[in-house]
Amino acid sequence: MTGLECCLNYRNGSFDLDLDLSVPPGITILLGPNGAGKSSLLRLLAGLSRPANGQIRLGERRLFDTERCIDLPPEQRRIGMLFQDLALFTHLNVSGNIGFGLKLRGAGRAERQKIVNQLLEKLTIAPLAGRSVAELSGGERQKVALARTLATGPRLLLLDEPTAALDPAARGGIRRWLLQVLTELKIPTLLVSHDVEEAAFFRKRIAVMERGRIVQQGSFHQLLQAPASEYVARFVGVNYLSGEVLHEADRPVFRSRGGSTFLAPFDMVATGPACLTVNPWDIALYRQLPEGSPRNHLQGEVHEAVLLGDRVRLTLAGRDKLVAELSSRGYQALGEPQPGERLWAVFKAREARIKNIAAVGSAGNRPRFLSSSLTAGKQLTTLETSIREGS
Amino acid sequence: MNRLHPFTILLASCGLTLGMLLLLPIFALLLAVSPAELLNQLTKTEVLLALWITLLSSLLALLPTLLLGLPAAYGLSRCRGRLRHSLEILLELPMVLPPVVAGLALLLAFGRRGLLGGLLAEFGVRIPFTLAAVVIAILFVVSPYFVRRCASLFDGVDRKLEEAARLLGATPWQSFRRVALPVVRRGLFAEAIMALAQGFGLFGAIILFAGNLPGRTQTLSLALYSAFQSDPRQAFALGTLLLLISLLLLSTARLLRPWEARS
Repeated sequence: MTGLECCLNYRNGSFDLDLDLSVPPGITILLGPNGAGKSSLLRLLAGLSRPANGQIRLGERRLFDTERCIDLPPEQRRIGMLFQDLALFTHLNVSGNIGFGLKLRGAGRAERQKIVNQLLEKLTIAPLAGRSVAELSGGERQKVALARTLATGPRLLLLDEPTAALDPAARGGIRRWLLQVLTELKIPTLLVSHDVEEAAFFRKRIAVMERGRIVQQGSFHQLLQAPASEYVARFVGVNYLSGEVLHEADRPVFRSRGGSTFLAPFDMVATGPACLTVNPWDIALYRQLPEGSPRNHLQGEVHEAVLLGDRVRLTLAGRDKLVAELSSRGYQALGEPQPGERLWAVFKAREARIKNIAAVGSAGNRPRFLSSSLTAGKQLTTLETSIREGS
Repeated sequence: MNRLHPFTILLASCGLTLGMLLLLPIFALLLAVSPAELLNQLTKTEVLLALWITLLSSLLALLPTLLLGLPAAYGLSRCRGRLRHSLEILLELPMVLPPVVAGLALLLAFGRRGLLGGLLAEFGVRIPFTLAAVVIAILFVVSPYFVRRCASLFDGVDRKLEEAARLLGATPWQSFRRVALPVVRRGLFAEAIMALAQGFGLFGAIILFAGNLPGRTQTLSLALYSAFQSDPRQAFALGTLLLLISLLLLSTARLLRPWEARS
């Protein structure tokens, strides 16, 4: 067992961080909105802030344990951290930065030079060796910062939004490079992000954090299929309606908070609070409601229409808000509806996914995925494609 | 924007008037002594002795200023909130003390009848009216400024840099020694020079605490004061000498500053 196990509490401004997280070897993406406490978590793990109580274990080593009064200082934790702004040492050149940790460990000049050169070679940045860090590009700085961290042989890597500060043109390249380097390393890596593209690109384990708690863990695919919260649904681009399941004329229906009624596969759902999710590309739009349709429908006003390459994203606001995505040809066929026009959104009952949710406030139980859709795999690929195209 | 606004004219004339007021005496001083006269005066033994005492005492005071002041400044810059505020007020106290009062206070602390005088006398140590007194007087007046300015230098060091160093395996001492110090090194050098310059010109605290003993505690400023009463020409020469030393130190400090900003 070489992974990270942590369970900790920390008072973080307006809310409490209350976390139970394990990071196995390999990349885990820590996803969450700004202010969810992601950076605070990294600082707690690194020993730069002190949890109120809890434990942090890295493999066999206990880094922090309130019960046993263990609190290793950062320099003894063997954790590598990539700060959002990288924090390269401006008084040293590239080699000096990478060799910094080795020098502290008392490595001789020759040994240091050897390890630095190996790293420069391995990370394909050998030409930068003698350069001043002030003259590096954003991507190069990123690579040097990672090299500096890796030089000391960390047992856990923490990366705080590694591509956020880069300009979009450089982002793709750095992401590919990071994925390659990190995959080879096989050490537990926690990569913080608030970028759906990044999460989709890495295709790794994802842990979603909201207001100081881990609300969902799983693959991108699982997030898409069963978003545990409205944030996750918005993040992956899926419609999310909260409401409740009730019995009406002896059959179950879903009544949204906005007051609309929808049908869905109810086989594994109990009455009570629930949420309904439906993919934007499974929603069809009409000017007139098709006759004799048994399907779910909602009338609403076009709120906004966004062009994404050859697709159009329409936000429809009626009793509830729904986002529909259609091809630009379909959009033209509809007569290019503009904001303010009224349309019908229609989707099949079996395209909707529904599950019970805990009453608001108690985030204890893990969300379970209750309905399955046969077309899920296909949908995932479509979304990922559209995400990449959208970039 | 070519039009000269009356307010701009007001600003310029205020600046000019003040500039004249400040620069005129300096010019006057430079004009008072011819270079030959200056050289002639400066080869006199008592002048050379005063110069030697000035340099020696300032350099001796610089050592504890750096050794105690740097860690203190670093510690101060790591304090936050109310603690920092209180410590800064404490530091300002000796700054607002008139130098003559500072000399008096030092005498009351280390003098024969002072707080520590009895204790020191038991060990056979007598501080007032010695070179040690000159050094202590300089340390007392200069170090608060030094600590304060260095603390703001350290404030400018990104905390992330030191956190990164810690995660790379640096102990707190190593992160101070290998990151914070090198990052502000030019600024520190400039501050050290400023501290020297400040020590060179000190008068009030020294004359009360260390006296005006030629060859023992008489620095250039004190020699100037004595000379003014007997031989004004020598006083002018000493004044010019002090001015030139200050100019030299100032330009060295200034030369270092812009590099700091660039890196």
